[in-house]
Amino acid sequence: MDPDTIVAVATPPGPGGIGVVRISGAKADVVLGRLAPEAPLPEPRRASLRAICDPESGELLDRALVTRFPGPASFTGEDVVEISTHGGALVPRLVEDAARRAGARWAEPGEFSRRAWLNGKLDLAQVEALKAVIEARSPAAHRVAIHQLDGALSRRIAGLREALIGLEATLAHHIDFPEEDDAPIPVAEIGRRGRGLAGELAALLEVAPEGMLLRDGAVVVLAGAPNAGKSSLFNALAGEARAIVTPEPGTTRDALEVALSIRGFPFRLVDTAGVRAGAQGVEREGIEVARRALAGARCVLLCVPVGEDAGPEVEGFVEGLEVPVLRVRTKADRVAGDGSARDRAGATGRSGDGGADRIEALTVSAETGQGLGELRDRLAELAFGGLLGDGAPDPSGVVMQERQRRGIGAAAREVEAFARALDEGVPPEAASAHLGEAATALEGVVGVIDPEEVLDRLFASFCIGK
Amino acid sequence: MELRYDVVVVGGGHAGVEAAAAAARVGVRTCLISPDLDRLGQMSCNPAIGGIAKGVVAREVDALGGVMGRATDASRIHFRMLNRSKGPAVWGPRAQCDRGLYPRAVRRILDEHASLDLVQDLVTGLELAGSRASGVRTRSGLRVRARAVVVTTGTFLRGRIHVGTHDTIPAGRAGEAPSLELATVLEEAGVELGRFKTGTPPRIDGRSVDYARVEVQPGEEGDFRFSALAWEDIPRQVPCWMTWTDERLVDVVGENLHRSALHGGALAGRGPRYCPSIEDKIVRFPDADGHKVFLEPEGLRSRELYVNGLSTSLPPEVQVAFLQTIPGLEEARVTRFGYAIEYDYAPPEQLRHTLELRALEGLWLAGQINGTTGYEEAAGQGVVAGANAALAVRGEGTFEPGRDEAYLGVMIDDLVTRGVDEPYRLFTSRAEFRLLLRQDNAVERLSGRAAELGLLTAGQVEQLEARARAREGLEEWLGGATLPAADANALLEAVGEAPVDQGVRAGELLARPAVDVEGLLAAAGASNDPRAAVPPEAKDQGWGAPWGVGHVVATERKYAGYVEMERKRAQALRRRSAVRLAEELPYGEFVTLSTEARQKLAAVRPGNLAQAGRIPGVTPADLQNLLLEVRRYEGHEKRPGSGEPAAR
Repeated sequence: MDPDTIVAVATPPGPGGIGVVRISGAKADVVLGRLAPEAPLPEPRRASLRAICDPESGELLDRALVTRFPGPASFTGEDVVEISTHGGALVPRLVEDAARRAGARWAEPGEFSRRAWLNGKLDLAQVEALKAVIEARSPAAHRVAIHQLDGALSRRIAGLREALIGLEATLAHHIDFPEEDDAPIPVAEIGRRGRGLAGELAALLEVAPEGMLLRDGAVVVLAGAPNAGKSSLFNALAGEARAIVTPEPGTTRDALEVALSIRGFPFRLVDTAGVRAGAQGVEREGIEVARRALAGARCVLLCVPVGEDAGPEVEGFVEGLEVPVLRVRTKADRVAGDGSARDRAGATGRSGDGGADRIEALTVSAETGQGLGELRDRLAELAFGGLLGDGAPDPSGVVMQERQRRGIGAAAREVEAFARALDEGVPPEAASAHLGEAATALEGVVGVIDPEEVLDRLFASFCIGK
Repeated sequence: MELRYDVVVVGGGHAGVEAAAAAARVGVRTCLISPDLDRLGQMSCNPAIGGIAKGVVAREVDALGGVMGRATDASRIHFRMLNRSKGPAVWGPRAQCDRGLYPRAVRRILDEHASLDLVQDLVTGLELAGSRASGVRTRSGLRVRARAVVVTTGTFLRGRIHVGTHDTIPAGRAGEAPSLELATVLEEAGVELGRFKTGTPPRIDGRSVDYARVEVQPGEEGDFRFSALAWEDIPRQVPCWMTWTDERLVDVVGENLHRSALHGGALAGRGPRYCPSIEDKIVRFPDADGHKVFLEPEGLRSRELYVNGLSTSLPPEVQVAFLQTIPGLEEARVTRFGYAIEYDYAPPEQLRHTLELRALEGLWLAGQINGTTGYEEAAGQGVVAGANAALAVRGEGTFEPGRDEAYLGVMIDDLVTRGVDEPYRLFTSRAEFRLLLRQDNAVERLSGRAAELGLLTAGQVEQLEARARAREGLEEWLGGATLPAADANALLEAVGEAPVDQGVRAGELLARPAVDVEGLLAAAGASNDPRAAVPPEAKDQGWGAPWGVGHVVATERKYAGYVEMERKRAQALRRRSAVRLAEELPYGEFVTLSTEARQKLAAVRPGNLAQAGRIPGVTPADLQNLLLEVRRYEGHEKRPGSGEPAAR
């Protein structure tokens, strides 16, 4: 059977009490052992509480209920581990990623079901239901899905395919037809064309983060001291009173999450517990939840009421974050007069994010709606800026699917390795092994590249035949 | 009159000769029937064997005990290793042969086979016993009963030659009658036939060439043998020449295009793109400055030259006119005019990987009848068909070389799983494992299996064992012997490699790109020569020569990481190949497959999952679903964890 152990979040993304991360395969227990190294493996089919930690840093990710289902008495027929984490978009994703780094790989869509079928765990009545899932894997279905988002991505991918075929044809001419009318193409020229293709692949990947965000929504975390107006802002942006808002500091203990559309882009807004020194018990746990939430954020809104300082606790909380921190002066309605005044309490942004190292703070009021429009613009710009404005990559070139992204990434590495090998003097017929790997990596994205197509190109491009 | 044999082979071209020889070597009673026993192994087109990929096939045929390598060595008069400036994985040995010596060598080698009889006659009928082929009938009334029939008719099935648009004559080769009755008989037996065309250039009298105006191309004098297992005497070597066409030829051909059989519409079949006529070349590449023309000697005693690069079906007077525009050929006299030929072939999807027809047991097809071109492609199929026919007679399994084992395997798999839409020729780009399929290691890849099947003579088996011992000796020496820094650096500096600080293992030196076996042995010195340590019969195994055992070892060390990459991919392919697909699978009912995939799979009926994956129109997703459907169809008989590989 398939030797890989796979992992995926089994519950739909979005707000919810729990998220289930499912691991299946011969190494499921090994992966679990690395995620929860401090306690023994739970008894089969008995839910047990475990601390789930990052396999590399050891950092606590969540306390979760873990259940083992040794094969063949499991959903897939293989060894299965299910981890029931806290809900929302963040924690299950963190655990999924940790499991991947602990030895599992991301499951393909429908892969758990396929394994179940292969192992005889699903009966014929279930086959029809499964069919749709299986068909969604086909490149044709993929193409349809992509077309719905934007037809131009297909065109770009078709262009990549052509470039790869062209490169193989050049190589075939070089190797198979040394005595023809046209002089052999110099190796340096083949290398140059390889670099060109690697560059195109890399360009597609550049906007991949935006593509992923388009699929899942960009996570924006509201952080700040207790009673800094986070929940008011959360509700104002969400357009409904989801968070409980009281004048009492420290009302929000858990991370609240809402999916919403801002300027046409998908966001997941997360409200967190206020940060303060000396928090105890439940409140401290809430702060820990907030800290973990930051790890999955695309952007942090640091809320500081107008006229107040963030304070050392809060500054420390966001210090060293790799994501942009946007300072928001809240409660502008409480200040008489110049409510629109901007102060220049800048925050550091991740380099490469639009080139802005310091991001100007905004002044907003959840009460009056002041500044909210500008905040929305700013959020759209921060998360999806790669898709906006002049000089932005063709938005249609966005790589949507994680699987595509991985395929293109692997292909880019192999094509680059091909060009580098040629530079180092590796003979082209040997370096071409990298092109073979690249074509395999791109199969799911561009379809199979048939040797006949390479020959077609060859005969169309060169006068061949003694 | 009635004769009885185990295997009867119809046709004496490169496929027929190898099929008959292979069957006879396996040890069954074999009969080869050909209309002209003086032309066995005739070279109907260019008298040359080998080239890129094709040269590897010639060596594979030899590694399987075949005729081609020996006959080439015994008749070659001009040799070059194509791609010598590139890495050894894509070297292509190519030899110009003496058109007269080659068939004589073939006949001599065939006559060594005690269980092979040769009969001169034309086969006109097929004997059937139910749905099995049981023998053939000939024009002179002979009935030859056999348990296996191998048909290798080349371009003779309803062959028709065209010169210009008016002159068409039924013929299998210039001056030889076609095979008409057999085509009808095959169709009546349910074999589907299609039509292909190909062409040949004119030949000229070498005395009419102005050699001052053409470029001489000397052959290589180095040590090379197509046959590593049986050594022939190699004749003296002669040069070839080269010249270029210019715009005057474009004018002459352009004005007369309507008079070409290929371009005037007289011919319907499809021709090979890699072997275009001069008409095709100027139509498709009108802006080319000129085209290369090679003048190749037809033999040591022949004055004829083969004008390679100018295949044509224009009328004779136009052929003379365009030839005389070419520098050096202003006074050229034509001895034989070029022509186009069209012929019937049997679309090869009808075959199993053994080359037996699926629909008609006991009947094997090999060579150009399967839609290929080239002597080497034909010879390779001949060995596989002949060996399988003999194995079938004996009930001893099959011989199906894999895509990672031989270009023969690549070719047959391409033919059977994909079919052809133009005459099929091998290229290295058709092979996904070209670093594994080299001309130097054909013996290492195939001869062990050949010996098991009985395809090698006792003498060839001895050579094989000697070669293996030489290799062991060399590998042991490479791993154990250390060269002092001074000796190593003298070698490294001479070839432009970075020097070493201290003594270094011989094997590490050989892994350097610019270090070859001969240089290494010389640097090691006579007192440290691995050749001294091997048994006497292993001393002569070529060592650093391109056909020799040292070359195999050196090449694998130089490519090390990349060879490993290919081996891993080859293993993945093997795992897919291990998932067998039963012949009777109801592909039409597999609703999770695309309509196109269902139709293609039902037509081809691949033997395993890897073959299914190479059928055009079957996508990776189809393949995944196919595996599911098959498991479902088989009712989950196979338990999970049985080690059955998945389709990925």
